[in-house]
Amino acid sequence: MLHKGARRRTAALSITALLALGLAACGSGGESSVHQKAGESPLGQKLYGKHRGGTLIVYDHEDFEHLDPGEAYGAEDYTVLYAVTRPLYSYPPNSATTLKPDVAAAPPIISNGGRTLTVHIRPHIYFSPPVNREVNSGDVAYAIDRGANPNVANPYFGSYFGDLVGAEAAKGGPIPGIETPNKYTIVFHLTKPSATLFYGALSLPLSSPVPPEFVKPLDAHSPTTYGTEYLVATGPYMLKSNSQGKFLGIGYQPGKSLTLVRNPNWNPHTDYRPAYLNQIDVNVGGESSVIGQQVLKSTDAVQNDSPAPSIVQQAYQHYPRQITFTPGSGTYYASLDNARGPFTNIDLRKAVWAELDRDAIVKARGGSLAAQPMTHFLYPGVAGFQAAGGAAGLRVDYNEHPEGDPTVAAKYMKLAGYPSGKYTGSKTLQVVGSNGEPEQAMAQVVNQALQNLGFKTHLSLLEQSAMYDKYCTVPAQEIDVCPNVGWARDFADPQTVLYLPFDGHAITPSGNSNYGQVNDPAINAAMEKATLTVGEPARADAWAKIDDMLVQDAVAAPEVYASDAQIEGSDVEGVDQLWNSGAWDYDFTSLK
Amino acid sequence: MTTGAADILVAGEGRVDLLDPAAAATGSAGALARTPLQLFWRRLRSDRLALIALGFVVLLVLVAVAAPLVVQIAGVPGPNVLDPNATNAFGAPLGPSAGHPFGVDQLGRDVFARVVYGARASLEVGLLGTALATLIGTVVGLLAGFHGGWVDTLLSRTIDVVLCFPVLLLGLGLGAACDVHGCAAGAIQPGVPTIIAIVALVNWTYIARIVRGQVLALRERDFVLAARSLGASNTRILTREILPNLLAPVIVYSSLLIPQNILLEAALSFLGVGVRPPTASWGQMLADATPIFTTAWWYMVFPGLALLFTVLAFNLLGDGLQDALNPRGQVTHT
Repeated sequence: MLHKGARRRTAALSITALLALGLAACGSGGESSVHQKAGESPLGQKLYGKHRGGTLIVYDHEDFEHLDPGEAYGAEDYTVLYAVTRPLYSYPPNSATTLKPDVAAAPPIISNGGRTLTVHIRPHIYFSPPVNREVNSGDVAYAIDRGANPNVANPYFGSYFGDLVGAEAAKGGPIPGIETPNKYTIVFHLTKPSATLFYGALSLPLSSPVPPEFVKPLDAHSPTTYGTEYLVATGPYMLKSNSQGKFLGIGYQPGKSLTLVRNPNWNPHTDYRPAYLNQIDVNVGGESSVIGQQVLKSTDAVQNDSPAPSIVQQAYQHYPRQITFTPGSGTYYASLDNARGPFTNIDLRKAVWAELDRDAIVKARGGSLAAQPMTHFLYPGVAGFQAAGGAAGLRVDYNEHPEGDPTVAAKYMKLAGYPSGKYTGSKTLQVVGSNGEPEQAMAQVVNQALQNLGFKTHLSLLEQSAMYDKYCTVPAQEIDVCPNVGWARDFADPQTVLYLPFDGHAITPSGNSNYGQVNDPAINAAMEKATLTVGEPARADAWAKIDDMLVQDAVAAPEVYASDAQIEGSDVEGVDQLWNSGAWDYDFTSLK
Repeated sequence: MTTGAADILVAGEGRVDLLDPAAAATGSAGALARTPLQLFWRRLRSDRLALIALGFVVLLVLVAVAAPLVVQIAGVPGPNVLDPNATNAFGAPLGPSAGHPFGVDQLGRDVFARVVYGARASLEVGLLGTALATLIGTVVGLLAGFHGGWVDTLLSRTIDVVLCFPVLLLGLGLGAACDVHGCAAGAIQPGVPTIIAIVALVNWTYIARIVRGQVLALRERDFVLAARSLGASNTRILTREILPNLLAPVIVYSSLLIPQNILLEAALSFLGVGVRPPTASWGQMLADATPIFTTAWWYMVFPGLALLFTVLAFNLLGDGLQDALNPRGQVTHT
């Protein structure tokens, strides 16, 4: 999942206590989420019994990208989607590992050696106006079917839903592997025994019900107008719309504002969400540091994305009750083009890894409260993190010094065929980063490392969405280094952290998440095997070994593990989503 | 024959010695003859403010040219050196100190070094852009003023159209469209050469109008008519009679253009379409400093002051040149 600027995390706990707990958990077991040990009640996050009512003001520096649950993949968009739509299963804010049945009535019944899942849907869940009727299994089937429709083009369809019988040939029509024997039952038939992973994937927005009679005509447009003009809600909230269900220009003005109001047809008896707030007003845009000031001084505002580093210090020192940090929010790294150009050479990749000053990047993000040096590709809180080396990672020489190690870097430059220790080739590297506040500083640290190694670079700093959509996810653009990419899990399984960014089969001509086009046959084979491994401990081990392979192959230059910061006004009782990089959960947040 | 400013001239051919007004005033016998250049220099010299400005400009040029030496003498790290000890635990930059007299930026880079190197971008664009604009403007103005008729009409309308060009929007547009891979097969990319081109493209019109006006006036003067009656060709008249008389106004107006262009470069860099990072530029430093101004005042103040003094110096120098070249206050405007 893309966790772009959005960082979120814990509320209500004081900083020092949080850090102590976080560090302790990171150092010790750490397999489950950092904020709780398995079986314990949520630390500090009171979820129920809060005050009802009020309007929450939200400031969001970045705009939303995809409001269609069939297309969204980023933390930013999820903050709205998980308030407005309900997938079959979802994580409550205090867990990143244990799914709760949401539209589903109970966990799936897995049979046939892991090839069949049977899900029963709760009755009495209703769509918002103008659809109004009860949700049935056909709506869930259509929601998943449309993921294969080229007008929707769900980026996860291949990786997580590709094992459905008939998914390969699917183009938006009914998928043979999805069966709806009655209106409250849906059965999934898989070609491989990957039910464990499939169950996790049912927590993605793609599984949230979509009424075919309303949406099919919209999906005929290329691209679909569902999510850009119309959206039907099943959650406690909906985008403010007109009587035809159109929200564009009313509940959402791109680049300006977004308004969530209560869904009149939401049935609280079917939902574990309390939905205290009456309305959520999002203001898009503005300078990050100005937004931060506004939020800290306010009573009823929050920031949707991560505050600027200068705000982090100010909040920590002057408004300690209004800032939280969520360790294990994801990773930031610099992708290196493994497919063409100088970085097809593994020694050059290792040289960049060694030379890069990860400590400087930690500082650029606001210091060690907000980030820690990244040493391998699984991150704290993900199963397999400890097995793959924990905080120190795999002990290879180019990984030993997060402050940068020019001596080791020079060694690999020489191994790469540059006896002077500096690149003497003719290629000028295309480096495309983001112009956001910590991002451009991070990009310049990476750029400096490249120049220290003798590379000539052409650094461009663009709007983050342009950086991703036009350049870093498009292999044909031939970008050598993308210093501002990152990743966070899609759901609890470690496969979701390593597969899409590093498997050769996951490379696509656009919307490509394998930014560096990593395509090592040994790694690909190991991943294929690991996808079919059954049982959580075995999967954690398998993917930890793959993490080791990725480090040994120096597939990218790691930067930091993020502990996303999140700020709120003084009267806000923010609850944040542990599983979603700590983003504020609008279904559980309340005002005092 | 070379002549000085048009209105110092008395009449056409031959060197003319002007009486030194000061000597005449004291009534000393045998007025001292001075060349127009000497007179110009005397007038400039007596203008204190202009001299100081000239000194500053010369110093600035030297500093820009010898930037590495200056940085070395000052004992600060280079402009692109990241100093991890110069930012605190939160990554916030530390202020002026012994090792960093102007403080550091968010990446721990020394602000003094970046201000010194930033002078290069400003001067390159200011001086080269103005020179290019002056060249184009003079040629166009000469042609328009001298030939008149349809040539003049065509060129004048072209000037009118170009004057309407929104410079900043052009810069922003080019920056957005031509980043990463560039436009026109990579020829147009954000960077100093493109800014120089934009600056020249937009500013030549001012010079052209002034030159045209001057030429229109000059071509009716007696010395030109005299040269024509002696059979001089158009080319000879243009180059030997008219062009030398344009020297003064062109110098004055182009010197007043320089600070405008320096500010334009700063504006374009502020908007992110100027010099590429990590190259230092005062405008870009101002942009980077804006979000952290409340906690890191030095990062905005020092580049801001550098920009202020530079623009002020060029403006004062331009005024001084104007006064020195047009002592009777007959400012030749169009």
